[in-house]
Amino acid sequence: MKLLAADRPIANLMRGREIGSNLVLSADVCVVGSGPGGAIAAARLAAAGARVILLEEGGSFTRKADFHMQEAEAYPKLYQDHGNRATDDLSITILQGRGVGGGTLVNWTTCFRTPEATLALWRERHGLSDFTAERFGPHWDEVEKRLNVHVVDAAEVNDNNAVLMEGAKKLGIGTELLRRNVVSCLQTGACGMGCPTNAKRGMALTYLPDAAERGARVYADCRAVRLVLDARKERVTAVEAEVLDPATDRPTGRRVTVSAARFVVAGGAINSPALLLRSGLPDPHGRVGKRTFLHPVVATIALFDRRIDPYYGAPQSVASHAFIERPGRTGFFLEVPPLHPMLASLALSGFGAAHREGMKLLSRTNAVIALLRDGFLPDDEGGTVSLREGGKRLSIRYPLGETHAEAMREAMKVSARIQLAAGAREVRTLHKDPVVVRGERDLRFIDERPFGPNLLGVFTAHQMGGCAAGADPKASVVDGNLRHHHLANLWVFDGSVFPTSLGVNPQLSILGIVAASAERMIATG
Amino acid sequence: MESRRGFLRKGLLGTALLALGGGAFLAFRRTLRAAKPRAALSVLSPDEYAIFAAVAARIVAVDGDSPATDAVDVAGRADDAMAQWPDSVQVEFRRLLRLFENALTGAVTRTGYETFTASRERRQDERLAAWAGSRVAVFRSGYQAMKRLACACYYAAPESWPATGYPGPPELPFGEIE
Repeated sequence: MKLLAADRPIANLMRGREIGSNLVLSADVCVVGSGPGGAIAAARLAAAGARVILLEEGGSFTRKADFHMQEAEAYPKLYQDHGNRATDDLSITILQGRGVGGGTLVNWTTCFRTPEATLALWRERHGLSDFTAERFGPHWDEVEKRLNVHVVDAAEVNDNNAVLMEGAKKLGIGTELLRRNVVSCLQTGACGMGCPTNAKRGMALTYLPDAAERGARVYADCRAVRLVLDARKERVTAVEAEVLDPATDRPTGRRVTVSAARFVVAGGAINSPALLLRSGLPDPHGRVGKRTFLHPVVATIALFDRRIDPYYGAPQSVASHAFIERPGRTGFFLEVPPLHPMLASLALSGFGAAHREGMKLLSRTNAVIALLRDGFLPDDEGGTVSLREGGKRLSIRYPLGETHAEAMREAMKVSARIQLAAGAREVRTLHKDPVVVRGERDLRFIDERPFGPNLLGVFTAHQMGGCAAGADPKASVVDGNLRHHHLANLWVFDGSVFPTSLGVNPQLSILGIVAASAERMIATG
Repeated sequence: MESRRGFLRKGLLGTALLALGGGAFLAFRRTLRAAKPRAALSVLSPDEYAIFAAVAARIVAVDGDSPATDAVDVAGRADDAMAQWPDSVQVEFRRLLRLFENALTGAVTRTGYETFTASRERRQDERLAAWAGSRVAVFRSGYQAMKRLACACYYAAPESWPATGYPGPPELPFGEIE
């Protein structure tokens, strides 16, 4: 009989409801954010003997108490902005995890090392001379062992992913089986709602308990409001955080102030630049919040005569990078998303009867997503994170231009061809007025549809950049060691440091690159 | 909750529309309160509840195979969800609803001179379609905000699943291994 893995409590964890008064704390290192970057940094630093305090804005969740495979419960609880994060104009829906464990609570377990092409670009164009596979490799080896990263068995490929694999094969397009960070996965398909069996080796089951066992203290429901600088604005002296009531997600009025010798910001792309901006840190060249990349996603929806059940099974087990290198144009890669009712309803175009009829066919529906590798073209600056309402709210802007449009159109055509080759009766785009593709000749209509904000459904599950790493302080926020260019005791350890997007799912890149950088941070004493 | 922000920050037109939506209703045309709250509301006013209930009914547009949006109390679920949004976002969304309801909006979009709640279903659909495909970015964003909330509240409800073919979450084995 299969059994579920037990929750692994994080020692020394305090939740917002347990904080009854203002707290003033001190540590050697204060880490803000408990996603992959913050978690592995905390583990490494604690193992090296540092007294670590970790602040996490989101709550602390466990399988037993919180992961019930219900979208209505999961999205408000486990995602940024209660599942409603988006660009200002709502043209790009942003799925981003929130809670102790960060994005690893809700990601779909896909594990890629950073591609060599990406590292090479960073070395050549951004001056990150030692961003090499040789340097990061040993760290990836350790992380992959710790998280049980392994290639899925072909038998684990569900019908939804098989569409991509089989359709691509018929067209001679290369695919690969993915690697996942799971142990004894029961294939519930609920990765995005918090793993209900503790199969997923997220941070809350691995590096955060590791860190806590070495003495790190974790404070959940504590939102870092600002970093406090010394009088000369050369060093960070403290982090001020407000305590949130987990029931309402609103401030309780209590505050936590942490003084430390060194600080790590690891709130993730979007939240990390926002914290730096709120804190008024030195930014003489206005680089904080710039070069925000999203792997913008477009999807095509295929209808089959057979059941696909896109809500069950490992959400992602197949990918294709056959179109990642497109000289002079934006490359893209192909994957498959799970489709549960709520997520599917948000993705499907239109309203009324047409939308309803699409929802009625959910059990026979497949989706293929194309993720654009943004930031690689020399003039692709991505989006911007900034503040408004006196810093109370974020502004996220991401202009979609002609290079995006070209790549999206091509990606939709490729995806549709694959789905038709796999036996789809018809394929629909997510334009306001969807293109219905039943054969090759229908693909031309994709070129004719107007392109603009909210005229085509665009999503992102991978947020990168905003605190870009680079050798040149005029063009970046942190240096090659991920240390702030202008503050000697501040590091940024998350996906916000990537100077472009990756071209692969980010979690393993964050873990390996941060682990290597934390090693250097420790070495500097 | 950052998503429903910015859709009214697109220049003078957006500002004017926002002022309109937050202000006078055309010729005293009032909201038709066809839907009434089942419980005390946290965020929405009774009028706004009725507006969103009417909007959700046309967005989801169930047929005989599915429970009605009112049966699922989509507007009540939306009110519950909104209770966790920042105050300023709540205000924006409520203004959006009043703007969409406003009879002048119907005139501007050539979809009638009634409030949305008092319009016939065909006219309601025309107004939604006009916003969805408008050349005015503000309208397109506003439509997206309403559509997403309505769909999320309806299709997250287990009562809606049978019509989609989704059997629900899989059964888990009992027992735990340490």
